[in-house]
Amino acid sequence: MADDDETIAQRNRRERRKRNIAIALVLGGMVLLFFLMTIVRLGGHVFDGTA
Amino acid sequence: MALSDTFGLERPIATVGDFFALLKPRVMSLVIFTGLAGIVVAPGHIDVLSAFTALLCIAVGAGASGALNMAYDSDIDGLMSRTATRPIPRGVIARGDVLVFGWGLSVASVATMGLLINVLAAALLAFTILFYVVVYTLWLKRSTAQNIVIGGLAGALPPAIGWAAVTGSLTFAPLVLVAITFLWTPPHFWALALYRSDDYARAGVPMLPVVKGKAHTRWQILFYALVLFPAGIAPAFIGLGGPLYLAVSALGGAAMIYGAVNVLRERDAVKEPAARRLFGISLIYLFAIFAALIAEHLIGLLPFGPWA
Repeated sequence: MADDDETIAQRNRRERRKRNIAIALVLGGMVLLFFLMTIVRLGGHVFDGTA
Repeated sequence: MALSDTFGLERPIATVGDFFALLKPRVMSLVIFTGLAGIVVAPGHIDVLSAFTALLCIAVGAGASGALNMAYDSDIDGLMSRTATRPIPRGVIARGDVLVFGWGLSVASVATMGLLINVLAAALLAFTILFYVVVYTLWLKRSTAQNIVIGGLAGALPPAIGWAAVTGSLTFAPLVLVAITFLWTPPHFWALALYRSDDYARAGVPMLPVVKGKAHTRWQILFYALVLFPAGIAPAFIGLGGPLYLAVSALGGAAMIYGAVNVLRERDAVKEPAARRLFGISLIYLFAIFAALIAEHLIGLLPFGPWA
């Protein structure tokens, strides 16, 4: 019984870590997407002064 | 060590895979496919990153709808064998968590579409999500045998969202693509409902075979399969599809009618082998016609199209 509980706790720690990594990747991806879309929309206009 | 560990109170928490399952990945793949078709057939130019963003928003919006559907249907999902293994009936994710997850993703996908693509595409995406969740899941599904016919509009809209993402407008052409998926939904779902009718009856969902009987459902399936044929080949006559599309949609449409006739002549009302086959045929049909459309536009198989 005690072994089982420990296994669940360990499993939960592992899964929680995976969930945290997944959330970090999604948020990082969102930031990157907004950054890249901004660059695409600005195009060359930053450099020629029309942005 | 946490107190809950000491007393053995800790329960298994939901995995990343459980949250992914809430997004109904198989439905999502079909939506991505039809949304992509809307993007590639639309006139005008869209850069690859914008197209990716639009498709991502459509996919996440569809996933969010799926999650919300599972949250609001969690009471009946547990009663049906097909849906009993979903994360909420299994008890790994709380219904409230799924509501937050689903509504959060809905707002995020619509906001991202509005900020990065355009307002019309965002409005259509919002309409699609609300129609699926509020009109279909919360209202029609439990109240009328025409639930999946009307609710099918939500699943049919992605090509129009894709088109709007490119052009910022809506015309007749993308609505033809919407009409195809709209007319495809009844034979697809009713085929499933024929061999899962016990499930739906147990859960109290008024699917057509439960309310009007199997014989009536078989005729309705044939009716929609017949109407689907001309709608399916229509893109070839309004400049959206070429010879490849015409051939695939005509063959596919014929296969749907053939499958529907077999469902009509079915004598094994327990196992419903013909309905199972039609369900498979319908999945292949939708994938095949949209794949043909995408192939013609993306790799230049359309003889008189803008990419030729």
